[in-house]
Amino acid sequence: MDRILLGDEAVALGAVEAGISAAYAYPGTPSTEIFETIRQHAAEAKPPIRGLWSTNEKVALEEGVGVSYAGKRALVSMKHVGLNVAADPFMNVAVAGAHGGLVIAVADDPSMHSSQNEQDSRYFADFAQVPCLEPSNQQECYDFTRQAFELSERLHVPVLLRLVTRLAHSRAVVSSSPPRPQNTARYVDDASLYTLIPSNARRAYGKLLDKQPAIAEHAEGHPANALTLRGEGRPGILVSGVAWNYLQEALGPALEQYNLLRVGVYPLPVRKVRQLLDASTEVWVVEEGYPFIERYVSAQGLLREPPIRGKLTGHLPRSGELTPDALRQSFGLPVREALRLRGLDEVLVGRPPRLCDACPHDDAYAAIHEAIADIEGDVRVQGDIGCYALGYLKPQQAIHSCLCMGASIGMAIGAAHAGMRPALAVIGDGTFTHSGMAPLLDAARENIPVKVFILDNSIVAMTGGQPTMATDEQVVDLVAGLGVARDRIHIISPTPQRKAENVRLIRAEIDRDCLSVIIARRACVTYAKVIKEHRRCRNAAAV
Amino acid sequence: MNYDLVICGVGGQGVLSIAWVVDQAAVEAGFHIKQPEVHGMAQRGGAVSAFVRIADAPIASDLVADGTASMVLSVEPMEALRYARMLRPDGWIVTDITPLKNVATYPEAGRLFEVLFSAPRLIAVDAAALARRAGMVKANNMVMLGAAASLLPVPADLVEKHLRALFAGKGERMVGANVKAFRMGDAAGRFTVALLGGGVPAPVVARVVPRLAFEARPVDEQEMARWLDRLRAPDAQAAAARLFDSGETVEPDRGPSVLAA
Repeated sequence: MDRILLGDEAVALGAVEAGISAAYAYPGTPSTEIFETIRQHAAEAKPPIRGLWSTNEKVALEEGVGVSYAGKRALVSMKHVGLNVAADPFMNVAVAGAHGGLVIAVADDPSMHSSQNEQDSRYFADFAQVPCLEPSNQQECYDFTRQAFELSERLHVPVLLRLVTRLAHSRAVVSSSPPRPQNTARYVDDASLYTLIPSNARRAYGKLLDKQPAIAEHAEGHPANALTLRGEGRPGILVSGVAWNYLQEALGPALEQYNLLRVGVYPLPVRKVRQLLDASTEVWVVEEGYPFIERYVSAQGLLREPPIRGKLTGHLPRSGELTPDALRQSFGLPVREALRLRGLDEVLVGRPPRLCDACPHDDAYAAIHEAIADIEGDVRVQGDIGCYALGYLKPQQAIHSCLCMGASIGMAIGAAHAGMRPALAVIGDGTFTHSGMAPLLDAARENIPVKVFILDNSIVAMTGGQPTMATDEQVVDLVAGLGVARDRIHIISPTPQRKAENVRLIRAEIDRDCLSVIIARRACVTYAKVIKEHRRCRNAAAV
Repeated sequence: MNYDLVICGVGGQGVLSIAWVVDQAAVEAGFHIKQPEVHGMAQRGGAVSAFVRIADAPIASDLVADGTASMVLSVEPMEALRYARMLRPDGWIVTDITPLKNVATYPEAGRLFEVLFSAPRLIAVDAAALARRAGMVKANNMVMLGAAASLLPVPADLVEKHLRALFAGKGERMVGANVKAFRMGDAAGRFTVALLGGGVPAPVVARVVPRLAFEARPVDEQEMARWLDRLRAPDAQAAAARLFDSGETVEPDRGPSVLAA
């Protein structure tokens, strides 16, 4: 059946038709649509596919590992920085292995369209010594996902599927093949492999090392790693993933002068790379993301012959995503003539994203801003990840850091220990349950005088309105459960009408030398309808 | 055949809905497509774009190169200009002229229109006004899709079919208003293309069409001919400028007498 699908949707469909029994994810651009699509198909599957938006990526992967341990197939999806959160189970399940097929789909974000870095997940697969599949188009998203499950079960390893924004969020027609039934549940025979006490871990790691030749042979023979030698004495190109698309667009027929190795499956097919290097006068390495392949084949610049040209040598842009235009420039082709309009630059201004009109975060920031306005010295607010990170920009200019999920509270603790007063942190409800509870536990245990603002808008808004793990009184209970005294937990309603009283309360709390948590509680205006639906579902589940 | 379309606007204006409809229609017409779009952070009131690449052979790149797009289709006038560099020298700009001013530094309208109206192949429409006439204030994206329809490599009736499919789940009234908006836009697009083809200077066309209250059908041929004659007259530029600046709307089927000197 042919359908128009996003790369993310093609991965989801591939997983559903590969017979997954469960899927887990934490929302994050550009990976969010993978799990959203699986949810749409979950009920049609027999039996229905289980799974949930997990509390964070670490939990999601551990849930996926549990499914694999029980003999069934699971897809776990996240954005690239989510894999940092899940790095602990990821590195260790590589050692333990996979029983039921376990595929981790990770969407990288070169150019940082919606992210704080552009880290390249191929390094993680390499680090963990597991296979990585890198589709270059939507059809490969579907096909590679299905293959990844077969590979995972055949070689007993988890498999990483690496996407990038322009594939995750681009549509094309995808053909699917007949679905495969789900596995029946049967625990892994050898529990010791998953019980990584040192004596077992050494044996399990030995098994992972023993799997390496088969993993390498799989990559060497995979048709996506295609070598085309057109003759000795020609230049060569080694290209991977979506870079192949841009290369065709940029070079057109000129590509036929080159010896060519396309890579879509890792580890690198070293025999094919050797052949390319031997046959070519120079080799361009064209890849989306970090210069991962380039560092390997050039031995980080130590290899002299043939010369390697790429991101490390300055022949291709070192950061940001590749484009057909960037490649044309790198290969010395002229920029195409375009429509020109006189005076265009003078009437064109940037239009950055902003908080929505009547957004509760705006009112929360206004109150915090006024409460700290009169304090002498350098007052900083540690921010976090979510819509409210937009509060860094004009007109709010209300936060002074945004490092990674949950960092606001830990950084405020550090600022307090460095002697800074007041030490302030702002975090949303979703980010709080993702990874803000652990640092708040630190602060509560030692009564560290930080002021934590939890902006509870009842939803994970930035990524499109996914359900939050805790809102309203649940947030209060969590905070109290972590050890924050009830009289240090305050709930304010961030509205223009309540601003004066909110400012007074915040000021009073700042003057107290203790831990305080101020929950600014008002539902997101943009997702009001969705929140109502989430509440209805939660209440139904509670019955 | 390669046809690269850039669709743009501001988060919340329905840019991705336009792209969805064109995708479906192009695939049904037997073409290959690739269609990247912007999700996530940028959708919060920021600039949003989608590309629709349509071809009769498989398409490699998801991204469109500068100087290769055939059309920029925009729901906002400044956003149309943001992507002008992607157009081939003979490419079309099709845009709503209603500014969405959610940034403090938004350019002054007169200067913005001066640059925009200097584009040689431009369909400028007051989509907000036509959407209101169609009975659905938020349908300006479908007005703009209509305005572009006659230039797309996909039959307009296929586009309309998938537009209906997009709104099918939202009730008959929603479908009806959006189809009406689409057809009004189509009338504006065909009218513009006919005037430009008939030799009316582009800046004149750009100032007349946004002031016309199109029906959900093409402008009557006899009236069309009268408009063509009138707008080729030596004083047409001044008359068009007066009409544009007046902000008043005129029914095209009543003929160009409103432009009397």
